[in-house]
Amino acid sequence: MFLAIKEMLHEKLRYSLIVVLIFLVSYLLIILTGLATGLANLNKAAINEWDASSIVLNSDSEGRLQQSFLSQDEVASLPNNGTRISQYSTLVKSENGLKENAQLVALDSKSFIFKKLKITSGSKNIRNNAGVVSDKFKSDGFKIGDYLLVANSSLRIKITGFTPRATLSALPVVYISPDTIQSLNKGVTNAVVFKNTLNNSKIPKGTNQLSIGSFINKLPGYSAQQLTFNFMIGFLYIIILIVISIFLYILTVQKLPNLGVLKAQGVSTQYLVLSTLFQSFIMSVIGVIIAIILGEITAITLPSEVPIVIDKSNIIVTGIGIIIMSLLGALIPIRQIAKVDPYKIIGG
Amino acid sequence: MSNLIFDSVTKIFGEGSSKYVALENINFEAESGQLILVVGPSGSGKTTFLTIAGGLQTPTNGDVKINDSTINSLSKKKQTKLRLEKIGFVLQSYNLVPFLTVEEQFKFVDKLKNQNLTEQKMHELLSDLGLLELLKKYPNQLSGGQKQRVAIARALYTDPDYILADEPTAALDTDRSMKVIELLRDLAHKRNKIIIVVTHDLRLKDMADKVYQIIDGKMTILEK
Repeated sequence: MFLAIKEMLHEKLRYSLIVVLIFLVSYLLIILTGLATGLANLNKAAINEWDASSIVLNSDSEGRLQQSFLSQDEVASLPNNGTRISQYSTLVKSENGLKENAQLVALDSKSFIFKKLKITSGSKNIRNNAGVVSDKFKSDGFKIGDYLLVANSSLRIKITGFTPRATLSALPVVYISPDTIQSLNKGVTNAVVFKNTLNNSKIPKGTNQLSIGSFINKLPGYSAQQLTFNFMIGFLYIIILIVISIFLYILTVQKLPNLGVLKAQGVSTQYLVLSTLFQSFIMSVIGVIIAIILGEITAITLPSEVPIVIDKSNIIVTGIGIIIMSLLGALIPIRQIAKVDPYKIIGG
Repeated sequence: MSNLIFDSVTKIFGEGSSKYVALENINFEAESGQLILVVGPSGSGKTTFLTIAGGLQTPTNGDVKINDSTINSLSKKKQTKLRLEKIGFVLQSYNLVPFLTVEEQFKFVDKLKNQNLTEQKMHELLSDLGLLELLKKYPNQLSGGQKQRVAIARALYTDPDYILADEPTAALDTDRSMKVIELLRDLAHKRNKIIIVVTHDLRLKDMADKVYQIIDGKMTILEK
């Protein structure tokens, strides 16, 4: 790759410009991917923590927890290893005036979901109007022992513990007992969550089993939001492909006479093709590394309200994606190189 | 002793009404230690002759033999390898890689041939051609004559059996042209190479061991 490196070092400005362009698009891509992941997590983090496979809801609920009401008969005819979920969206306040929109989720303390909940501080107790709450409350100033006053009700929930990654439909979750939620929703069960997928014969009439993945996709606004992000991310990949293609094409066209002479002198097409691919690879790697570093710095410096998550898997997928696009972008210039006829360049 | 033979070589471009005979029944032979000039006006078929000799094109009829092996039946890959190992090209322009220094032009050849830089050989060659002080210079920092001398040195560096030069003096004034052609003649004689120079410059005639003329694709030998 002697030729490729020497050319890049000699033509620093030209190749730096391409690297800058790759960096800018990659940076935007990493930020957008981070936001898409962050927003997706806000919607589904709590559900992921449940570590469940399926959920049974009312058939007419369109897969939405808030719209699903299961009768006592329906719940009773389901296998008893599921976790009954009751959900109630509301505003909660602390006694010293802190406010938070929240999802109250009631479940049995013996359920597999509750057993799986991790606690970052406090204890895992939801008896006697106590609640284990999302650690978002903690970052917003709530403390263990504080009371959450539920709007439009006389219910007071004592915070006993904080749990991580507990957001549902972008709101922090307050895990309480079925007894505690009784006064708010009259003991209605919205859904039953199972660790495994149920045989269809076990699903009572009037209910519907969804995989957890399908349930997440039906969360209000979730699919539309993710599709919008995916569209923008996909478009940015195409932009990278086009940018690399155009720049490498122009550079290749400019040096076609030299390439023709090199071929005449015995330099193989394979060598010249690999040289171009190597340049594309190096430029994309440099651009991506700078973008990752600045992306991480951006994620750290942005206010915590911005739901951006730049994790390893995002970085790896985005980085590999950009590098693949860059290599694909080199295909058109490579075609030019393969087509160069040294005879025509020499002037026959 | 190397040789290059054209055996009844014909090259035809196009078909039907656009058919054009670039070379017609060419018989040509060159041996080691000879500087051969191929002269002729523009469009006479000189460059076609040179590119066929270098394996860049295949003849429509006839054979081109290098050391008695036919090169026009070789695969493209083998022809490329043959050019790298046996043939040195010196061209009118674009001879040198613009982003490599003179020294790196030689290193590049080493990389291609997977050999270590034989600095002594490079220095000897450059010293013979009076180019040692140009090692760190890029082609755009060299004069036309210097560029051609570096290109000749680079072509010689792989120790090819043949050097094929296409209008190597076209961009040079008379004085420099004579120096370049003298250099090529010395190399042919002292290093026992076959050097074929295609040119329209008849001033160089007296320097060659043999002079051929191509007119309208037909080759004749010129008496000196």
